[in-house]
Amino acid sequence: MGNGLYNIGVSGLQAAQYGLMTTEHNISNANTPGYHRQQIVQTAAAGQFSGAGFVGQGVDVNNITRSYNEFLDNQVQQADAQSNYLQTYSNQIGQINNMLADTSTGLSPAMQDFFTAVNGVATNPTSVPARQAMISSGQSLVASFHVLDQRLTEIRDGVNGQVTSLVGLINSYSQQLAQINQKINDAGTGSTGQQLPNDLFDQRDYLVSQLNQQVGVTVTKQDNGVYNVFIGKGHPLVLGAQSYSLQATPSSADQQTLEVSYAFGNNTVPIDSTSLQGGKLGGLLAFRTEALDPAQNQLGRIAVGLAATFNAQQHLGMDLNNQFGADFFSGINSLTTPKSIPNKFNTGAATTAVTIGDASKLTADDYSLTYSGGSWSLTDITTSKPVSMSGAGTVASPFVADGLSIVIGGGAPNNGDSFLIQPTRNGARDIGVSLSDPAKIAAASPISTGVGTANTGSGQISDGQVFDTSSAGSGAVAFAQPNGGALTPPLLIKFTSATTYDILDNTNPAAPVPLAPAVTAQPYDPVNGTVVSYPVGAPTPAFQVKLSGQPQTNDTFTVDYNTTGVSDGRNALAEAGLQTKPTLVNGTTNYAGTYSLLVGEIGNKTREIQVTSQAQSIVLQQTQSQQQSFSGVNLDEEAANLVRYQQAYQAAGKMIQVASTLFDTLLSIK
Amino acid sequence: MRISSNLLFDLGVSAMQKLQSDMMTTQQKVSSGKRILTPADDPVAASQVLNVSQSMSANAQYGTNDDYASSAMNLEDTTLASVGQVVQDIKTQLIYAGNGSLTNANRQALAEEVKGQFQQLLGLANTKDGNGLYLFSGYKGTTQPFTETSLGAQYWGDQGQRLAQIGPSRQVAVSDSGHDVFERVKTGNGVFVTGAAGGNTGTGVISQGTVVDQTKWSAAGNSKDYKVVFAVDNSGLLPVTTYDIIDNTTGNSMITGNPSAAVAGPTGGPRFPRTYTAGDAIEFKQLPTDPGPLPPAWDLGVSISVDGAPTGSPTIGASPPTGVDTFTVKASTSESLFATIKQAIDAMNTPINNATDSATFSNKLNSAIASLTNGLDNILTVRGGLGARMKEVDAVKANGENLNQLYTQQISQLQDLDYAKAISDLTQQQMQLDAAQKSFLKVTGLSLFNYIGG
Repeated sequence: MGNGLYNIGVSGLQAAQYGLMTTEHNISNANTPGYHRQQIVQTAAAGQFSGAGFVGQGVDVNNITRSYNEFLDNQVQQADAQSNYLQTYSNQIGQINNMLADTSTGLSPAMQDFFTAVNGVATNPTSVPARQAMISSGQSLVASFHVLDQRLTEIRDGVNGQVTSLVGLINSYSQQLAQINQKINDAGTGSTGQQLPNDLFDQRDYLVSQLNQQVGVTVTKQDNGVYNVFIGKGHPLVLGAQSYSLQATPSSADQQTLEVSYAFGNNTVPIDSTSLQGGKLGGLLAFRTEALDPAQNQLGRIAVGLAATFNAQQHLGMDLNNQFGADFFSGINSLTTPKSIPNKFNTGAATTAVTIGDASKLTADDYSLTYSGGSWSLTDITTSKPVSMSGAGTVASPFVADGLSIVIGGGAPNNGDSFLIQPTRNGARDIGVSLSDPAKIAAASPISTGVGTANTGSGQISDGQVFDTSSAGSGAVAFAQPNGGALTPPLLIKFTSATTYDILDNTNPAAPVPLAPAVTAQPYDPVNGTVVSYPVGAPTPAFQVKLSGQPQTNDTFTVDYNTTGVSDGRNALAEAGLQTKPTLVNGTTNYAGTYSLLVGEIGNKTREIQVTSQAQSIVLQQTQSQQQSFSGVNLDEEAANLVRYQQAYQAAGKMIQVASTLFDTLLSIK
Repeated sequence: MRISSNLLFDLGVSAMQKLQSDMMTTQQKVSSGKRILTPADDPVAASQVLNVSQSMSANAQYGTNDDYASSAMNLEDTTLASVGQVVQDIKTQLIYAGNGSLTNANRQALAEEVKGQFQQLLGLANTKDGNGLYLFSGYKGTTQPFTETSLGAQYWGDQGQRLAQIGPSRQVAVSDSGHDVFERVKTGNGVFVTGAAGGNTGTGVISQGTVVDQTKWSAAGNSKDYKVVFAVDNSGLLPVTTYDIIDNTTGNSMITGNPSAAVAGPTGGPRFPRTYTAGDAIEFKQLPTDPGPLPPAWDLGVSISVDGAPTGSPTIGASPPTGVDTFTVKASTSESLFATIKQAIDAMNTPINNATDSATFSNKLNSAIASLTNGLDNILTVRGGLGARMKEVDAVKANGENLNQLYTQQISQLQDLDYAKAISDLTQQQMQLDAAQKSFLKVTGLSLFNYIGG
């Protein structure tokens, strides 16, 4: 009996000791991330049968468990992955948002300054200082495009850098997880009844949650407590004790962009970035495709649109040297930076040349041009929709779609060959001012009109409007090519009656001769006037003048080259008018409007992400509170446990003392 | 519910961080005076501010353009006023020159005076603006518009009008070309012009005529090229002067409808269909008194008169009649003011030796005076148009200033901070943070360990 008493006392002592140790472990790990509160599971030892029945044998400590609730922990992990995703997205887009916030030094004032200078030339076309000011402010406008684009490129480089370091981090976590898996496996927790290595489990769970913060993963739990971890669409990251590594590799379509690949020995297989969701990596990739690419493209579209439309107007004008205007801006169809990039895996020999045909139709999207089944097809990458192309892809008849003009050259393509087309990505980087000579600003219109001095009627002729001066279009018929300088021939519109007129070659004003072919007896509407297009019958005229009023027979009107028309600011006025003319986005908005579209889009996206991010951090906080209230350490509770087990220990000690006293009592019987 | 001690700290800290970041944002708003710090704060308003500020900047530019337009037009207006004065002076001299009591020498002296005024006018036509550009040369601002020639002046400019953008959709011409001011002066009475043929031997002086019905003159089919020929029948007791109206394009008499030819009168002398009375109207229409057979009724809607004694002795039956005093009636054309003045000077320099010379001089002088009157009208018309445009620019400018205020207001409404609200927010946030900090200390200070042992 004495032995039994001792044993019970010792079991109590042991239990209290376990209790104290576990409590102290809890207290020590109160701040350890991923730690789950542990507690001892003690049961009364099975009684020993005696005549009096079962006599208790003290206490057994069966198990030390951790307060782990798989549901709660999973919830926290998911919320955490989402929160990290949004946090990263929000931080990144915040950079663009802040960049656009500065209204005093951004693109907007530079644009306004430039057009103020253009107006200066329009009101004072002969003034060289005004012309110089237009070139200078054009240069500062270009500089502000460059600054914005540079900043976006820095952000893009930052994303690439972060992708690389996150991939490294993910690899390191998956290796650690594989090692923990090995240890858990070695600890042999397979069959039930065996004790669980709580702290290894905590480490394992903590690693999984760390991994989840980097990128969303899915976990399958094996019977022996080993975790298998998968990424994206089921790519294994950790299988038992084996880990697989990821790599940041340049995209096959665009070598400037790093994407995440799966490494098999020496080979890499790119992982579809849309399948990498959640976590910081997911946030970065989503930011890049949803915000950064569109922002840089939008900015590029303004630059390309400005350059294309402004240059087109320059070409319709005449400079101080009586020549057609030269390009003011450079870089829209720069050959040094092609707008199409062949895929690394192309096997055919085809090449593409992409130029901007109609800037008004440009979108801010990227495209993929793919060869398959004997034909080329174009897909809008942003919307994932096919885009129909007209033309045959040859120089004479290029593919035309969304303002682009695509010519296929080189050798034969193979099935599956593709090209990435980024029409506007580098627009803001490549724009420049190509004009340096103030005299070459085309402020004047190349034609001037006149009313015959001897006219008896009240007929009037408008200033005229020029549509085409190019040597490829109808301008070739009307103007001396390639630089202008004369009308070929100068025209005389002569009325043969009050309602009909002839157009004559006025090269010799003393004796006008018929045009070849002759243009005679054209009808004239004395009520509404008549627009005369030249060349007559051309689909797009080189220029038009409007006749109005009531001319009489033999009344004449002249159209001549505007030689030495230095005080004429008509073309500069048209250039200044471009500021408010809706030339972009299918002719719906002007340059500043397109920029405010960009600002609005980024602002909205930023706001959306910020609000969701805030909401998500509250969700995370709530799930964390729930999980922590179950698994976390409450120091007051532990303090109480400390006292509880201390007292239990003291009581068990007392028991041994009692047993000892009892034994002494027996011994003292003499 | 059990609370994780760790979480207690985390939650407390994150709450305080959020409050601090809110306070910082409010403080930034207060210090910048703006409600929108980044586009994300209010994406719609942020992009609207950009649009409005662009409109505002364009509007400011229109204001500058308005000032430019006003000053350019003011200069032109002043110049045109001087031009009008000089032309008026010349006209006065010409009217004085018509005074029959003047001698040849008197007229030559007057001619010298008018020559001086011609030079003055040429100077005004070649006026330069503040930038050294010619005012009246159209687009060819650096080309001198007028140079003197023996016939008047040659115009080297073009007909372009320089433009200024004074509003979003309004361009206004800030100049008028020399062509419009000096070169497009209607001759005669503005509708038709009368003249005397060089070989007239009588003393007939033709009037500028009057337009009775403009639509009839403008009607299709009117050749607008006529002449009135005279015959004097001296075979009777008293000379009878008759005339015919001939359409130059057909050679037919308008009155008879047949090729014009003199017929023998009762006494055998040559006669035309209508009888002439000095100073009476010569109406260009069918009269009931016209001798038959009458052609279809005709009416050109104009009438002229001839004073003095025209003469003529056509051969009877010869068509076209020859040896007759001829006066022309044609559609008005445009003439250079300088040419008109030059012709008047030439006329004044031509000595008058007999009645025929005197009639020739009168005819030339009359047409010059008529042209000058038209020139003066033309200058007034150009000035009138200019004045209307100046008024428009003023109106647009005033409107632009109102718009500017409106834009400023709009931008302010979009992005300016409501200070009262911001300050009250700040105070509230400050209180909240204060409370959070104090309560955090209280809550985290509680621990059972404080009471164990000791």
